[in-house]
Order: sequence, then C-alpha cells, then structure tokens
Amino acid sequence: MNPSPFTYHRAGSVGEAIDLLREHEDAGVKLIAGGHSLLPVMKLRLAEPAHLIDIGGIAGLAGISAGTDGLTIGALTTHRALETDPAVARHAPLLAEMAAKVGDRQVRARGTIGGTVAHADPTADYPAGLLALGAEMVVQGPDGERTIPVAEFFVGFLTTALSPDEVVTAVRVPALPSLTGTSYQKLANQASGYAVVGVAAVVTLDAAGACADIRIGVTGAGDHATRAAAAEDALRGQSLTDEVIKAATDRADEGIDLLDDIHASADYRRRMVRGLARRAVLAAVERAGAK
Amino acid sequence: MSAPVAIGTRTKRLDAPQKLNGQERFTADLKLPGLLHARVVGSAYAHAMVKGVIKDAALAIPGVVAVLTAADLPIAPKADGTPGENPLVEDEAVFSGQPIALVLATSDAAAEDGVGAVEVDYDPLPALMRMSEAMAEGAPMVRLKTSEVSDEEASMHNADAAQDSGEERETLPPNVSNSIHFSRGDVAAGFAASDAVVELSFTSQEVHQGYLETQVAMATVEPLGDLRVYTSTQAAFYCRTRVAETVGVPLHRVDVVPMPVGGGFGGKFVLIEPLVAAAAVAVGRPVLLQFNRMEDFLAANPAPGCEITLKVGATKDGTITALESRMTFESGALGGSPLQIAAILMGGYYRFPNLEIRGYEVLTNRSKMGAYRAPGAQQGTLAIESVIDELARELGMDPMAFRLQNCVVEGDARPNGNAWPRIGLRQTLEALEAHPAWQGREEARAKGRGVGIAVGGWPGGVEPATAVCRLDADGKMTVVLGSVDLNGTNTTFSQIAAETFGLGAEDITVKTASTDSAPYAGGTGGSKVTYTVGPAVQKAAEDARQQILSIAAEHLEAAAEDLEIIDGAIRVKGVPGVSVSLREIASMSMTVGSRFEPVYGKGSSAITESAPGFAVHLAEVEVDELTGETKVVRYVAAQDVGYAINPASVEGQIHGGVAQGIGWALYEGMHYDDSGQLLTATLMDYALPKAEYVPPIETILVHVPSEHGPYGAKGVGEPPSIPGAAAVANAIRDLTGLRMTDIPIRPERLAAALDAAETARTASAAD
Repeated sequence: MNPSPFTYHRAGSVGEAIDLLREHEDAGVKLIAGGHSLLPVMKLRLAEPAHLIDIGGIAGLAGISAGTDGLTIGALTTHRALETDPAVARHAPLLAEMAAKVGDRQVRARGTIGGTVAHADPTADYPAGLLALGAEMVVQGPDGERTIPVAEFFVGFLTTALSPDEVVTAVRVPALPSLTGTSYQKLANQASGYAVVGVAAVVTLDAAGACADIRIGVTGAGDHATRAAAAEDALRGQSLTDEVIKAATDRADEGIDLLDDIHASADYRRRMVRGLARRAVLAAVERAGAK
Repeated sequence: MSAPVAIGTRTKRLDAPQKLNGQERFTADLKLPGLLHARVVGSAYAHAMVKGVIKDAALAIPGVVAVLTAADLPIAPKADGTPGENPLVEDEAVFSGQPIALVLATSDAAAEDGVGAVEVDYDPLPALMRMSEAMAEGAPMVRLKTSEVSDEEASMHNADAAQDSGEERETLPPNVSNSIHFSRGDVAAGFAASDAVVELSFTSQEVHQGYLETQVAMATVEPLGDLRVYTSTQAAFYCRTRVAETVGVPLHRVDVVPMPVGGGFGGKFVLIEPLVAAAAVAVGRPVLLQFNRMEDFLAANPAPGCEITLKVGATKDGTITALESRMTFESGALGGSPLQIAAILMGGYYRFPNLEIRGYEVLTNRSKMGAYRAPGAQQGTLAIESVIDELARELGMDPMAFRLQNCVVEGDARPNGNAWPRIGLRQTLEALEAHPAWQGREEARAKGRGVGIAVGGWPGGVEPATAVCRLDADGKMTVVLGSVDLNGTNTTFSQIAAETFGLGAEDITVKTASTDSAPYAGGTGGSKVTYTVGPAVQKAAEDARQQILSIAAEHLEAAAEDLEIIDGAIRVKGVPGVSVSLREIASMSMTVGSRFEPVYGKGSSAITESAPGFAVHLAEVEVDELTGETKVVRYVAAQDVGYAINPASVEGQIHGGVAQGIGWALYEGMHYDDSGQLLTATLMDYALPKAEYVPPIETILVHVPSEHGPYGAKGVGEPPSIPGAAAVANAIRDLTGLRMTDIPIRPERLAAALDAAETARTASAAD
C-alpha cells in the first residue's frame, strides 16, 4: 500500500501554509496534520494529491484555553488531549466523551480536531457534538481570519464551507449555561470504529425542570452531520416526560437523506437515529438535573 | 519412568524473545541483492475474457523492470503432457482480483505505480455470485474453461477427507463441482417415530483467516540454477512439490525455506509460491511478493460461505431418531470446499439411527476457497448445535442433559460409517456441566444475560514424519525436523526431548530445516503436528539417549542399564562421583581420532489412526435491545486435549480459537455486490474480533489420553475454534427467545429480529 508520488512541504506558519495552498491549488494539494484520515485514503489511492503541506509543526496551533465565554481549542489539539484535559472536562465534558470514542489510543494520540472537522467524514464523531454545542470554526485565509458557525460548516460528503485556500486554526465552544447536561451516544462500526450513527444532545432545563433549550447533532446517518431540528422543536419549552421525549426523538431523522450501504441499511440508520437520540436526550436531562 | 520434569509444565515459548522484541525476521524482512518487488494486476471483473495486456506505460515508469503475463511465465506441462496450471490468467478471468499480470520493480512503490499504468482489455461476461443462481437450470457457466478440481489439500487437514464417499454420481445441476451423499437407516420412519422435530436453515458468509502477516513469498535462482523459495508456508514439502511441478524442475533442485509464519490458520499451504518462483525464473532475479491487505482479501483463499437446511427428530424421552440435511457450499471459481468434513461432523456428534445428508459444492465467481482452522466444522456445527439446542427446548429438556444422553462414544458410527475411536466428548460435557458458569446460569439470567453451550469436534489428522536428534559439541541437544512451528510446537518438542534426557527444555534446540535437509513431515494443519511429529521426536531423542548411554557405558566401564542422565551428565546409579558429562561425550565422539561414533538419533512415526478432539464451550451474552449489539461477557472452554505437554501453549491455542469463534459468531463475513466486486476488502470494512470484543476466557483441560500421541496428547489446534458461533447463537436464543440462523449475527440482523418480535408481541397483545 503505497500512495501515489507527492511533494512534501513543511509549513512554518499558517501564512506559509496558505501561500503553499494557493501555489499548488491547480496541481492538487492537501493539508496534513495527524494524517489519520488522509493517509489511509492516500494509501488506497482514493486521494492522490500532488502536494502535501504538513502543518503539524506550526507553533501555537495546538492547545486548549478556557475563558469566561468558553473554550478555544487549537486545530492541532489531539483527541487524546481533549479526552484528558481538565478544562474540557469542566467546561465541555461532551467533547471529552466524544474524544474517548474516537478510534483507539494510538489514533487519539495523533489525530487532531482540526483535521477531523476539515476532512468532514460523514461518520466522524465530533461534528455531532460541535453542532449540539453550537461551536464555531476559526479559519484563516489570504484575507485574514473569519469564523464560520458550525451549522454552516458541514455542507456535504467530505465537504465544508472552507475555501480551498483557508486553514482551520481553532474551534471555539461557547460556555454552557447552568442546568445544562450533555451526552453522546454512538453505535460504532465494528470494523472501523467510526460512527454508524452518533447522536449528541445538549439540554438546558429551566427552574421548573422543563426544556429551556436543546440542540441535537446527528452524525453517520446522512452524507454530512446535521441538527435534528424537528426533534429539538418538539422538545423546546416542553415538560420532559418519557412520552414527550419518545415522540420528539422519533422525529430525529426528519430531513436526513439516510445513507444505505454495507454497514447499515437506511431503515436501520433511521431506527438508530431515533433510538440513540432518545438515549442521548434522556442522559443529558439526567445530567442537567444532577447539577 | 520417573516423575516428569519437562513435560506437563508451563513452558515459555523458545521463540518468544524475538517475537516480543520485534526481532523476528519474517520473509518480507529478507534482503537479497538485486531483489525485485512484485505487485499484482488483478482482474477488474468477476468474470471476463482478457483480450490483451498493454505494458508500455508501466514499463516507462522509473524502477519498473518487467511486466509479466501468463505467456511470459515458464510453466511446465503436466506429466500427461497437457498444459500446466498457469498462476496468471491466460484468457479467462473468473473472479475479481484474480492475478492477470505481475509488475516487477526495484521498489514496492514503483511496482504499485506500474500496476496503475498497466492497461487490460476485457470482454466482460456474466458473473454468478449466488449458489442458487449458479445451480439454476440453464444457468451460464461460472467458467467457460473447466479443469479438474483438486481436493488434495483437504486431505491434509483431516483423516476423513482422504476417503471417497463411494457413492454413485447423481445428475448434478450446473456449476456443481462435487457432491456427497451419506445415508443410514430410514429417515422417514425415524421422523414418523419422533415426538418433536426441528427444522432450520442456516447461512454463513465467507470468512477470511485474518492472519496478521499477509501471503508472502520470495524466490531466487541460485548460481547453478537451483530455486530457493523463502515463504510463510505451513507445508514446506507440499510447497516444494507444487513449485517444482509448476516450473518443471526436479524436486531436489527446489529448496523451500519455511520462514516464521505470522499467522496461517490453514490459509498458507501453497498460494503464491508457484507464481513467485516462475517469475524469478522468468527474469533471473530474486522476486518478492507480499500481498497487501486488499489483495489478500481479493485473491487469497478464505473459508467458504454455505447454506444448510437441517432437520432432526427425537422422542419424548430424549432419544434422537433421525437427521436429514441438504447442504450447499461455495467452492469459488476454482473448486474445492470442506463440504464432506462439514457433513461428517454435523452428523457425527450424536447417535443418529437414521440419517440422510446430501451436499453440493457450487462454483461461483469468487476467489479460491481454502482451509480455515477446522475447515467446514464451524458451519456444520452451527447447524447441528443450534438444532439440538432447539430440540431440547421443544422436548422441555435441559440442553446439557439432552446432549449427554445422545452424544457419541467410542465405537459409534460417523455418517461415513467409520467408527469413532476413543474420544472424550462425554467427559468434556461433564466437565463443563460441573463448572460454576453452568451451575450458576440462573444467576446470569437474573442479571439479564443469556447462557448458551455448544459442542465442537475435529477428527484430527495423520501423516508420517521423521525427526532427528543430535548431540552438539557443547553437550546440548538439537532436534531437526520438517514441520513448521505455527503455534509453539517446537517448544513442545523441546519438552519431549528434554524429558527423555532428564534435561530442561531450554537445553534443547529445535530447528525446522528447509526441504533440502529436513526429514519429512506433513503440513502444519489438521491438529496433527504434536500428535504425529511428537512421537518421531520422542523416538529420535530415545535413540540419541541410547547412543549416549552406550558410549558412556564403555567409557565408565559400567552396564548401560546402570546409567542415568542427570543435569547434563551420565552417572552410574548409586555411585556418586563416577560420571561423564554430555560435553565430554561430544568431545569423545566428534574430534579427530575419536573412537566413538557421533550421536545422531533418528525417530519416525506413521500413525494411521487419528485422535479426534472435542471441545464444549459456554458463552454468556448481553444484548443491546436497541442496536442489536451482542457482547460476550463470559466464556468457558472445556476441551479434551489428551495430555497437555505444555499447558500454557494449549491454553493459548484455546484462547485464540475462542476469539476466532466469536469472530464467526458476531463479526466476520465477506460481502460482494451482485457484479462480483468485494465490498469488504479492507479492515475498515471487514470486522475482526478485536480485544475489546473478547472477554476473559476460562479453560478446562480434560485428559482422555490418545493411544498413539506422545504421552497421550491429542491435536488441540482445531477444536477450540469450532463451537463459538453455535454457543453464542444459543446464548442469544436463551436471552431473547430469538433463533438466529445466519452468521455473523451482526447488530442490524439482531435488531431487525428484535424489532419484528416486538411488533408481533404488540400486535398479539392488541388482539
């Protein structure tokens, strides 16, 4: 298993990476960080970039900082760092819960959050949680920095709102209000460990215990991760009985064009989206109430 | 004999250090001057005529030295003058990925670039992927050109396959390459006399052996024209024959060097060696081919899928009256399958006074089918052990008691009429019955778990073997033999030899030699190496011991029977201080002018009666009612091993077999689309039983000694991989009430069944 021949570049800064992206855009170019999504497809020759720009050595792109408004996570932060970081555990335990379910420990030691979101694998874990958390992507291009709300970021199969000459530099996760609980429920592919279906829920209760706000993110079901808007609408403002949650999460697949492949039929995915959404909401509600 | 010192003790594997340190050198680690790396151009179609291969663009790539097609290989005609079997497609490709051309380059990467640049001109033909389609009246042929089907390899795995069923040939449907028929008594009368009958249909998919090291071979032409083949084969002598026949050279001009095997499980007798050898001869340079994982999925030799319909009846008192079955086994595009042994085992674990089994091997446009650890046994066992379990429920009997009432013992007949020799099935059932996991099954059920049991048996294999044992100058002993060590058998042999000499296992070196110098042994398969090569080692060591004692007797001026070997020295019993060391014996027999002959013991065995081994497994499972995921949370494996020369090694064999059985049950299956493209060609798509899927395994060793094996040992490799699928299916049945008959029992399959059952329950509640 050898990739097609390519030219390797090592970028010293984000600016240099952007220049290299522009320079080699026509010949075919990819950024590489942890390489755990890109290298397998290159070895299978499903991707054959003529140029590879390694951004793994760029200073300042890794690391987690916590502020009053939330977390800023550098693009090169590894899954293992997210899994074990105390600030993440305190401010966004959902991220740690998801990170712990990515691949195995060797993969988590190398793979990065920036690489995962930029690759936009429809079965990756993070997109579901980032949608539920209302995160935003910090990206840098030739004209400087901009932010893209996560709801606008994932647009299709392996496709994001990034321009070809933009680099994801960080992911920002807003601070969660009080009385908020989160949960990620995943059915893993038995071979690859990727999500057949993964559902993340972020639920905020009001003082009476009703649903003040809710966001549900779904990955693995369609060609890109999406919010389960119909289910959210059916829960927002409601008193969260089992019946209400069941009725609402039975609508979690609405609007998703379900994948149908050797790993799961569309019908099975539908039932998993609904069932896992129910489990995620129930768990999130329980955690919200426990605080 | 005095109390054993070396045998029966847990002994570390002699090859553990280099394996644990990453220092073992496998075939692909070897470097030869002028080595060319080969990569395969595989057929893009499951069935097509190949009209041409255009090499120019590939040959223009820097590093690419040659592109070989069938016409470029030096393939010798067969003994009868007909054309020899070409390992590359000559004109008709019959499965997707079948090697059409070989690109040779100075690096693996250049060879792979070359593969991408080779153009093949195809004329596609219809592909037949389902047995039912292939057998239908008027079906097109899976391959237009037919050749004889060889079952040569099957006979190396079990003694029963070596016999013809002796039946008249019925008129067969299209694309059926072989059929079997076993019959006993009157099944109609048997079913008429029964009080309960269970009939179920089972399917299983192709399962890959999943070895860590993919198929690999390197061949080089020595200066005087001899061929040397380094390979990860399980069967060096068989490999040598096949290579010599392919390229048309005498046997003695081919040396097969059996390299450490990174997992074989039956899939590495011979596959790519004739191709690699022919390529090396064609270009006159060393050639290395190691399949990448995808090539190994596409073009190796996995276990076949099958369909089995099985009906068994019994009377109220729990006596089985009849068995009837129809079996179809995939035999790929090239033919051959373990159908016969599957039938013999399926109808062989219990006493069936009336029995009727018909079976068909069906060609489809899939790769060659091969042996995978207990070939045929998993599929046949899933059927019989599921039906027996269900029948016990129908009769309201305990499944353990029902099995004990009907299980075969020495003298009972197998479907082919052969009587079982001394076996330990009953003792193994009793051992598991007494285990806390079975006794405490109600507690497990109270915790929301299901408990299932299943039997698995293997007839064992036999083949003559020779070993030699020599004394070296340092006073240590070296055993030289021809059997490949797949799983610690050389360590077991060091224990056998050490026992003979009263030495520790670490004082004995065991070498598997290449075919130029090794004494004969058969392939490592069929659970026969310890059983058949072990006695040869034992005799060779005893012969060497007698030679040593005779030298010592003369030297010490004592009678040989008054001597004993202790701690590397020969002493006169009861006379302290009178001794001669093995080192001195070596010196006295291997220096200029010595008066004694060098010590070189020889031992051979030609056992013709196999020692069947039985395992009985218990699986405890939990099921996620939403996702259908099954988790095996406890596993107990009881097995009659005859005698455990190295208990650590025997338990290791059981652990590995259990993991593979769980793979059969829940995870593994190759999946093709209707046009014959393999959809599970990477480990991202094909699920192996990972460490997290396998619980701690409790083992129970049962000792019913074999008549001919060393110290009563039996082959232990095959049995532990057999009952897993049925034990897990029975545990799922116990927990959920659902009888799952298609393996692997993937989450979606079980979730759909759970959902259907829930819907039916709701509907009936509403009535």
